[in-house]
Amino acid sequence: MTTPLLETHNLVKDYAIGGEIVHAVNNVSLSISRGEFVAIMGASGSGKSTFMNMIGCLDIPTSGTLLLDGIDTKTLDSDALAEIRNRKIGFVFQQFNLLARTSALDNVAVPLIYAGIGYAERRRRAQDRLEAMGLANRLQNTPAKLSGGQQQRVAIARALVTDPLMLLADEPTGALDTQTSLDIMGIFQKLNDDGITVVLVTHEPDIAEYAARRIVFRDGQVIEDAAVKSRRRASAA
Amino acid sequence: MKDVLTSFAGWGVNVAIALTALRTNLMRSILTTLGVMIGVFSVILAVAVGNGAQVSVSQQIATLGSNMAIVVPQPDSGSGPPRPSDRGRLTERDGQAILREVSGVSAVAPQIRSSVQIVTPGRSATTQATGATPEYGIVSNITASEGRFLTQSDIGSAARVAVIGETVANKLFPETSPVGETIRINRVPFTVIGLLESKGSNLGNDNDDQIVVPITTLRQRLLTTATQGPDDVTLIFVGFEDEDSLLSGQKEIERLLRDRYRVAKGKINPFTVRTTTEIAETTGEVTQIFQAVLVAIASISLLVGGIGIMNIMLVSVTERTREIGLRMALGAKRSDIRNQFLVEAAVLCVIGGAIGLSLAILAASIFERVAEFPAPIGLDTAIMAVAFSAVIGLVFGGYPAIRASRLSPIEALRSE
Ligand SMILES: Nc1ncnc2c1ncn2[C@@H]1O[C@H](COP(=O)(O)OP(=O)(O)OP(=O)(O)O)[C@@H](O)[C@H]1O
Ligand SMILES: [Mg+2]
Repeated sequence: MTTPLLETHNLVKDYAIGGEIVHAVNNVSLSISRGEFVAIMGASGSGKSTFMNMIGCLDIPTSGTLLLDGIDTKTLDSDALAEIRNRKIGFVFQQFNLLARTSALDNVAVPLIYAGIGYAERRRRAQDRLEAMGLANRLQNTPAKLSGGQQQRVAIARALVTDPLMLLADEPTGALDTQTSLDIMGIFQKLNDDGITVVLVTHEPDIAEYAARRIVFRDGQVIEDAAVKSRRRASAA
Repeated sequence: MKDVLTSFAGWGVNVAIALTALRTNLMRSILTTLGVMIGVFSVILAVAVGNGAQVSVSQQIATLGSNMAIVVPQPDSGSGPPRPSDRGRLTERDGQAILREVSGVSAVAPQIRSSVQIVTPGRSATTQATGATPEYGIVSNITASEGRFLTQSDIGSAARVAVIGETVANKLFPETSPVGETIRINRVPFTVIGLLESKGSNLGNDNDDQIVVPITTLRQRLLTTATQGPDDVTLIFVGFEDEDSLLSGQKEIERLLRDRYRVAKGKINPFTVRTTTEIAETTGEVTQIFQAVLVAIASISLLVGGIGIMNIMLVSVTERTREIGLRMALGAKRSDIRNQFLVEAAVLCVIGGAIGLSLAILAASIFERVAEFPAPIGLDTAIMAVAFSAVIGLVFGGYPAIRASRLSPIEALRSE
């Protein structure tokens, strides 16, 4: 068996709130292989975001082990973690998190700055990604001049620009209307078909049905982890 | 090589990010820059004025004449304030002895100095009169720009003639040429035979506010207090052929005068011999201290400007915490974030420094014209100014930048 892309053993994240300890993520052990499409569900406050932030190397576990591509992240310093975020992971956020007053092209090129890619090459790659997202005529627009769906597509282009192994999306459709949400899910499915591992958090059962595997959290623990029956296919745009 | 190139490209990106951020808060950026601008402006101006003082002092010394020793009949002030009993004598015969016995002496110029009142019909002036010989002109490089200077026969006949400085001439004869006119010096009528070539003014000291008359005439006609002997003088200028003979000559003059006045071994000299080289050195030191004090005071405003930078950078980091978190999520290392804010601070400072420098150059040129005081700003000063302001940026931007780089990615992302 090949090493899973991601593996957690007894992963724990505690928060101390007013002298009391909250186990936001409590003893989670699971593994995700290359090419999977995982939807994480659960009630508000069940620990979905906390889990995502840890597997995205944005947050450090209180205890437990996280293996990414076989590497124990405990052994990595902040520079090495930054490099993993840059090369292996693409983030898509609920609120898009684009830089204001910065063109779509420049927004998409940001990760390439930190990958040490030169100016011309950055622009070329960013443009390719935006064109693949159907935004060829929006390269110079700033986020304020784009619709929510367009902004999220710019954000996806940005997440993909360094050719990561895994996309992490925490409620990527949370700020979008139904039709736009379906478009975005179509994009994720197509990317997954092309081989990228996708992990997304969602509140909506319909959206979760586009994934191949569903993990449900409650009070920081996994209470359900199974393949999605009757998976939906988006008619790719 | 590739590393250097990519890191250079990285800096270029940081400059672009900095400019965008600074443009976003344009008014705030301008106000912050103002602090550095004023700081750099005052430091540069202080350096320039200090340089000007040094230039002015060396010009002043140059007007004295080079390779020259000045002998005065006061004991060396190094041994405390002079008492009347310490006061020595100096005579024209001492001057002749120096010319005869000290090697390398080209000329001696004995002088008597006295304050005098000059009157013409309708006008008057108070100035300093120097009773001198033609050698005075040679040793201190003084000539007449109009008319003539003193001659040996003026001295021999104790002629009532005067060569007057430009300032005096302008006071007494604002419209006409003074040469050939009659003036009354301390009520005694004199004929103006020449106009002294202008030597300008240095540090508020007007070199043209003086007149020169024959030493014999001054002694016979103008002295109000009696001297100890018939040929006593106030001071003697001794001109030397070159710097080497000046150096050895100073000691020789001291030895000769101790001999002539039979100063016992162990007693201090009742006279002082100063060389122009020494004078240049001590005044140079004084003006250097003057400059240092000036620059130190001006640096305080630069410090305040730097604190302003730090303040605004801290605000900027706080406001952009979410952006910092995002950049970290996209792969920025701590050093990338640190450099981004360092460059932003440095850009603010360098812009402020450049504007401050330009204003200082402008102010210095106005100052030179209005106050007739040199305030040179050299290329070295300019480079120093810009480098200095970049350093201010790095020092005062350093703390906010490091603070930004230490943020946890997730906490930064969640902020707002
Ligand atoms: N920075 C923090 N400090 C203290 N407690 C926190 C922090 N972040 C999360 N928590 C707590 O941890 C628990 C899990 O939070 P988390 O954000 O992971 O939930 P979630 O499943 O993403 O919820 P939602 O669906 O509302 O986004 C909650 O009880 C929350 O209050
Ligand atoms: Mg959440």
